Amino acid sequence: MSKRKRPDSNVPSQSMTDQEKILYNLIQSKQGLGIWSRDMKRETNLPDNVVDKSLKSLLGKGLIKDVVNVQFKGRKHYLASEFEPSPEITGGKWYDDQGRLDSEFINFLKDQCLKHIRNLKIATVDMVADAIQRSRVLKRDYSSQEIGEIVRALVLDDHVIEMRSNGVGEFASIPTGRMCYKCSRSLDAAKEPRVGAMASIPCGVCPRIAHCTPGGIISPTTCEYYTKWLDF
Amino acid sequence: MVSPPSQYGIKYAVHIVSSHFGDLVAKVCECLLRRGALTHQNIVRFTEMSASQVKNCLLVLIQQNCVQAFSVEHPGGVGDASRRSTEYMALFDNIIHRMRLPKFVAVVSQELDKECVELFQGLLQHGRLTLEKMIDRAKSGREDCTAQDATRETLFKLVNARFVEHCPDPEPHLSPPSEEGAPARKRTKSSKVAAEPETLEERVLAAAAPMEAKRFLIMFDTATEEDGQKMGDSFLGVGEKRKSDALESDKELGSEGDRVLWRVNVQEFMHRFRHKACVENVRERLDGGAAVALSAMLETSRSMEKKVKTDISVPLSINTIYEEVMKGEAGRAMTLDHLRASLVMLGCERGADESYKIDLKNIIEQAQNEEVESVVLKKYGQNAYRIFRLLSKANRLLETDKISDTAFVDKKETPKILFRLWKDQFLHMEKVVVTGPRQTQFLLWKVNKSTLWPHVLDEMYHAALNLNLRVAYELEKENELLNLPIEKRSGPLEKRYNRIRTVRLLLESSLMKLDDAIMLFHNF
Ligand code: SF4
Repeated sequence: MSKRKRPDSNVPSQSMTDQEKILYNLIQSKQGLGIWSRDMKRETNLPDNVVDKSLKSLLGKGLIKDVVNVQFKGRKHYLASEFEPSPEITGGKWYDDQGRLDSEFINFLKDQCLKHIRNLKIATVDMVADAIQRSRVLKRDYSSQEIGEIVRALVLDDHVIEMRSNGVGEFASIPTGRMCYKCSRSLDAAKEPRVGAMASIPCGVCPRIAHCTPGGIISPTTCEYYTKWLDF
Repeated sequence: MVSPPSQYGIKYAVHIVSSHFGDLVAKVCECLLRRGALTHQNIVRFTEMSASQVKNCLLVLIQQNCVQAFSVEHPGGVGDASRRSTEYMALFDNIIHRMRLPKFVAVVSQELDKECVELFQGLLQHGRLTLEKMIDRAKSGREDCTAQDATRETLFKLVNARFVEHCPDPEPHLSPPSEEGAPARKRTKSSKVAAEPETLEERVLAAAAPMEAKRFLIMFDTATEEDGQKMGDSFLGVGEKRKSDALESDKELGSEGDRVLWRVNVQEFMHRFRHKACVENVRERLDGGAAVALSAMLETSRSMEKKVKTDISVPLSINTIYEEVMKGEAGRAMTLDHLRASLVMLGCERGADESYKIDLKNIIEQAQNEEVESVVLKKYGQNAYRIFRLLSKANRLLETDKISDTAFVDKKETPKILFRLWKDQFLHMEKVVVTGPRQTQFLLWKVNKSTLWPHVLDEMYHAALNLNLRVAYELEKENELLNLPIEKRSGPLEKRYNRIRTVRLLLESSLMKLDDAIMLFHNF
C-alpha cells in the first residue's frame, strides 16, 4: 500500500481546465482515502454538472480512479491514480474489490490453518505459516502476521484453543512462554459438540421470551416453538 | 454477597411451592419473597388471610426449611421498654433446591445402602425429623427394637457422610447492629460492616446455624439443658398475645421439646455438584486425564472446604493426589508422569514440595461463559458467536471497526449484529464523539458480566418455569390416556402413549439440565 507521491512534474497540469485542477488537487490531497463526489461538491462549491463532467474527464485521462467504499456501498470514492485505496475504504486486505469481505477465501485459509495445526498437534503461528508456505497451495505468500489473524479467528470460533507453552510435556518442542495453538476438543468428529442447557430448549433461544408470560397471549402452553419441538 | 431473587426467580419459586404445598402456602411464601422478612401480623395484613391460616402455612414452610424465623429487638421510645418481635423470612435457595431433590437422592444411593436412601427420602418428604420419628417410621412394618438400632445406625451413616445435619436454631435472636437505624432491615450503603455477612438473610442464617462442632454431632439419648430452653421459645413473638396458640405450635414448629431435629444438609450436595460441574467441564474442554486428576484433587479436599464458592482449592501434595487417583478405575492406568502432565494441563499452580492447587473459580467462569456463548451461537449465528467471544475474552471496550477486523465479520454486517446483541442485553455500548473538522462518532462495545449474568439467570428461571408449565400441560392433555389400563392401549392410542412418554422424558431431562445451569450461575 504505497502512499508515496509522484513528483508533481509528472502531472500534466496544462491539459486540465481550472475546475479540473481544483478537483484534482482536492482529490490528490486526500491521498489513499479519496473523496466522495457529494463531499467534493460541498467543499468546492462547484455546480453538480461541472463536477460530474470534470470527474469524467479526469477519469478519461487516467489521472484519477474510483473505488467503492466498504462502509457505504454505492458511494464511490475518487482517488488520484498514484494512490492505493486505504483500508478504511476497501476494508483492508481481506476484502475483495467489491468491498465485500472475501469469506470464501478466508474460509479456505482457515481450513488450511486448521489442517496444519491438526498435523502439528500443537503449533505457534510461525510454525503454521511455515507449513502453509511449504505446502504451496496459495498463490502468494502470507506473512506470519496474516496467518496469526486467521488463527486467532479460529480461536474465536472455538475450533482452536490458545495456550502458553510451559516448555514441558506436549509443549516440549516450543520455547516456554510462547503462545501456541491446538485443535479444540469440540472439533473431534467423534463427539457431539456440547450444547448448553439454555441453547437446547426453545425458551433459551426464544426471540419472544420477554413477552411470554404464563396465561398471557404468548405463553408456554400455547407456544408454537414448543409444539414444533415436541412434534414426534 | 447474595443478591435478591430476580422477578422470574420469585415466580419460579412460588410455582414450586404452589405445586408442592398448594396455593395458600404459596401466597404466604410469595408475600415474603417479594417484601422481605415480615412479622406474622404483617403477613396477615398483606395477604388478607386469617391469622390461623397464615400460621399453618408458616408451619409448613418452616417444617420444609423454606422459611426461617428470627427475633429482633425494637428499641422502645422514651419511657417504653424495648420490644421483641418475631419475623419470618423466605429462604429462596431452599425453595429452588426442591426441584433438585432427586439429584440428592441419586448421590446418596450411589454411596450408601438402601436403608440410608429410604431414611433420606423420609427426611426429604418431612423436611425435618427427630430420631424418634425416624424410628416410628421404620417400625411401621417391622419389629420394634431392631428398628431402633437399625435406624440409629442408618442415621449415623448419613450424618457421617454429611448428608444430614442438625436443624438450625428455630428462632435465633438478631441484635440490631448499633450503627444502624431502628429497623434492622434497612441498611445504609455507607455502613462499614465489611467483616460482617452482608445481607439480612446471611446474618439470620449465620445466627441460626448450629455450631460447627455440633452440626454433625450424634448424642442419641442426651439432649442438653440449654437446647431444651431454647426450643421452648414461643412461636409467635412476644408482641403478640396469642399464648395458647404459641404453646401448641411449639411442637409442630419443629422444636420437639428437647430432641434433636435432623434435616438434609444441602450444602454438602452443593459442594459435590460444584465439583462435578468443574470435572465435567474439564473433561469436555481438556481430556479424560485432566478430569481424573481434578476429580482426585477435589475428592480429597472436599471436607476441607469452608464454603461452596471456594475460589482456590487447598494445596495437595503430588503423592496425596496420586493416592486418590489410584482408587478410581479410570485412574489405575495413570502413571505419575501422566498425572503431572495432566496437572500442568489443568493450569494448576505448583508450590514447594510439589504441591498443587487449582483455581476453581476460573473453571466455573469458563463453564458460565460456555453456557452463554452457546446461546449466542444458536440464537444469532456463527459471526455473532465470534464477536461475542472476542468481547468476552477482551473484557474491555472495543470499537466497531476493530471488532469487525479481528472477528472477520464484514464491516457492513458487524454493526447490525452488535445492535441486535445490545438490544437483547448481551452487550454494553458506549458512544464516543470526536470533534474535529468533521464530527465523528465511534461506538464502543463490551460484555458486561455484572449485568448480563443476572439477566441470563433470570431467563433461566423463566425457562424453567415454562418447562414445568409445559410438562403439566402435556400430561393434563393426555390424562385420560395415561390412566388407561395397558391392554386398552393399542393402535393409535399406543402411538399417542409413546409420544407422551417421550415428551415427558425430554421435558424432564431438559429441566434437570437447565437446573444444573441454574446452579452454575446461582450457587457455584
Ligand atoms: S414458552 Fe415459547 S414463547 Fe415462551 S419463552 Fe418459551 S419458547 Fe418463547
